[in-house]
Amino acid sequence: MSMRITNSMVARTVLNDLTAVSGRLTATQRKLSSGRELGRPSDDPFRTARALELRKDLEASRQHRDNVREALAWQTVSDTALGKVTDAVQRARELVVQGANDTAGATARGNLAQEITALIDSIKQEANASYSGRFVFSGTLTTTRPYTVGGVDTFAGNAATISREIGPGVSIPINQIGSIVLGNGAGADTLLLDTLRDVVTHLQGGTPADLNILRTTDLQQLDANLDLLSSVRAAVGATTNRLDTAALRLAELEESTLSLLSETEDADMAKTMVDFSMQQAVYQSALKSGANIVQVSLLDFLR
Amino acid sequence: MPISSFMGLQTALRGLLAQQRALEVTSHNVSNANTVGYSRQEATMAATPGLKVPAGALQSGGGAMLGTGVDVEAYRRIRDTFIDLQYRAQLMTLGDAATKTRSLDQAELTLSEPGENGIGHQLGQFWSAWADLSNAPESPATRRALVDQAATLSASLNRLSAQFSTVQTQASAEYSAITGASGDVASMANEIAKLNAAIKDTLRGGGTANDLMDRRDLLVDKLAKLAQVSVTDLGTGAISLNFGDAAAPLVNDGTVTWPQVLTAPGGKLGALLSLSSATGTLASYKTDLNNFAKSLADTVNALHAPPNFFSYTLGNEAATLAVAVTSAAVRASVTAAPGANDIALAVAALRGGAAEASYQTLVTRIGSDVQDARRREATAEVLTNALEDRRQSTSGVSLDEEMQNIVRFQRGYQASARAMSTMDEMLDVLINRTGRVGL
Repeated sequence: MSMRITNSMVARTVLNDLTAVSGRLTATQRKLSSGRELGRPSDDPFRTARALELRKDLEASRQHRDNVREALAWQTVSDTALGKVTDAVQRARELVVQGANDTAGATARGNLAQEITALIDSIKQEANASYSGRFVFSGTLTTTRPYTVGGVDTFAGNAATISREIGPGVSIPINQIGSIVLGNGAGADTLLLDTLRDVVTHLQGGTPADLNILRTTDLQQLDANLDLLSSVRAAVGATTNRLDTAALRLAELEESTLSLLSETEDADMAKTMVDFSMQQAVYQSALKSGANIVQVSLLDFLR
Repeated sequence: MPISSFMGLQTALRGLLAQQRALEVTSHNVSNANTVGYSRQEATMAATPGLKVPAGALQSGGGAMLGTGVDVEAYRRIRDTFIDLQYRAQLMTLGDAATKTRSLDQAELTLSEPGENGIGHQLGQFWSAWADLSNAPESPATRRALVDQAATLSASLNRLSAQFSTVQTQASAEYSAITGASGDVASMANEIAKLNAAIKDTLRGGGTANDLMDRRDLLVDKLAKLAQVSVTDLGTGAISLNFGDAAAPLVNDGTVTWPQVLTAPGGKLGALLSLSSATGTLASYKTDLNNFAKSLADTVNALHAPPNFFSYTLGNEAATLAVAVTSAAVRASVTAAPGANDIALAVAALRGGAAEASYQTLVTRIGSDVQDARRREATAEVLTNALEDRRQSTSGVSLDEEMQNIVRFQRGYQASARAMSTMDEMLDVLINRTGRVGL
């Protein structure tokens, strides 16, 4: 037996279908206006999990890029300061060669000694280089000036390293300790400040023995210190290179994470537009057929 | 035995009356075409018992039965009780799914994931604040920013936990309102008991109680949405109604037993009970959220202490999570050196750890639950609609059909009337003209 179709069935079916179609239309409209495929977790729980993961990665790589930028600025300050120190040491070496010459008179040597003392102060000044209010060469005692210009040569910082996180689980030390190059000035540590102070003493002394030491030990120590300086600069350069690479990698990572996130969360506009027009057509035809079917009955034809 | 000359008149009269009754029933159907719960009725007509003509009626000289017309035998209520059973079972599922969807929806919306306002994003910013601190451990500003960010995060967790509790409380309040002494269940049960009495009286008096039964069935439908129902016909026209897993029948003839304790009644009440219960879905969301808050606080505290960075009350972690340090007391390092950042680095490296994973799992879980509840609701709705269609197909009023019936019974009435006037003419000939030859 075929199904009896009653008026309330027709009315209810038309209403249900209209509600369903307009519900779908509203959902598509929401996607279009928000531009997002994922409005809430239940739209697609597993895609939501992926979106959360990607958002986390994105935030992490943005922060790592910030960290890298910070660390790079730190390296630039360190490198510039070390470069100036190198220049000063080279100037000091020239002066030593000049002063070690037997023909130089006592007055000239006195002047040379004075100039080297001035160079020592400028080296200490450079070692006090700071980045946004923090002394870069004083270990973790970043608020303490590592050397006192015009005072004692003792290093006031510590030897602790400062690290920056530049990737998940990847930390990199970014600071160079001032005392490794400049030393403590005292106790014959043969480091830069100690050597230069010796040079000053020997220039002021001016005896043949002093001049001999100037020519031999002092010059050798100065050269050794220059080597040390360039190895420290090389370390700074290596860190800079590593940071540059990390920055590039992080930028690429951010780019790809962003596009993945957009793929996961955002609506495909072309597809959604097509869906929208189709649903609109369905809605209109549902309205039209509904309006037609609920109006006629046998009543219209009985006289 | 001779047959009365007036018998034809009587037969036509019966026809007239029966068609008139049928027209009245049709009119009743049309009037109730839009009444919820109405079942169409039908006047069942049957030929009245024939008049026995013992001998000489037939050519062969034998006897016969002579038709005496028609009578309305019953006013039948057209309804399929088997579909009623299926329909009520499906209504129960729908009530359960719809209630769950509504409540869980609310829980899901408060998550505001995925997006900038969700806890996932705030957690990311919290780790970033620690990384900022590791970049500038000397700066009071980064400490301030970190403490602010941590306060925002813990406030969001507090709020989410409170929202889950609110949804739970709402479910339990709704349950009490429905099952209370003056709630829906009580008032419907009382009405069913009254209808039971009225139906019994009517049937005892030999009447038909179709419309009263429709009203009673409608009430049973409404109860079926709230919990599982089973109906037993008591044979007198009254019913006994079992409701949910209540020990005694809710209505038995004229007696109502309510309130009663329900543990797993099914339907809307079942959903409300499970939502508000301490072992239900929402309670388990709260547990997950508490575990997340505890693991977050513990991992950060383990690196930061002393002092603890976060404080919480055990067993109610998400609702009580708070920042326990001032910005000046935030420790970036285990040493006192202003530029040291070991603690800050270690905390920032917690990003993406177990705590974060447990939060993501919770979001996915709520999402799946809502999706599942919504799917179940949609399925139940489709099935309920299909069954409602089958029910309407049997019991619903079709105006086309009723129009056609009107025409049919009207013609039947006209024809009976014509038969009567024909009889009348015949009698006129017999009475007024017979024997008046040549006048």
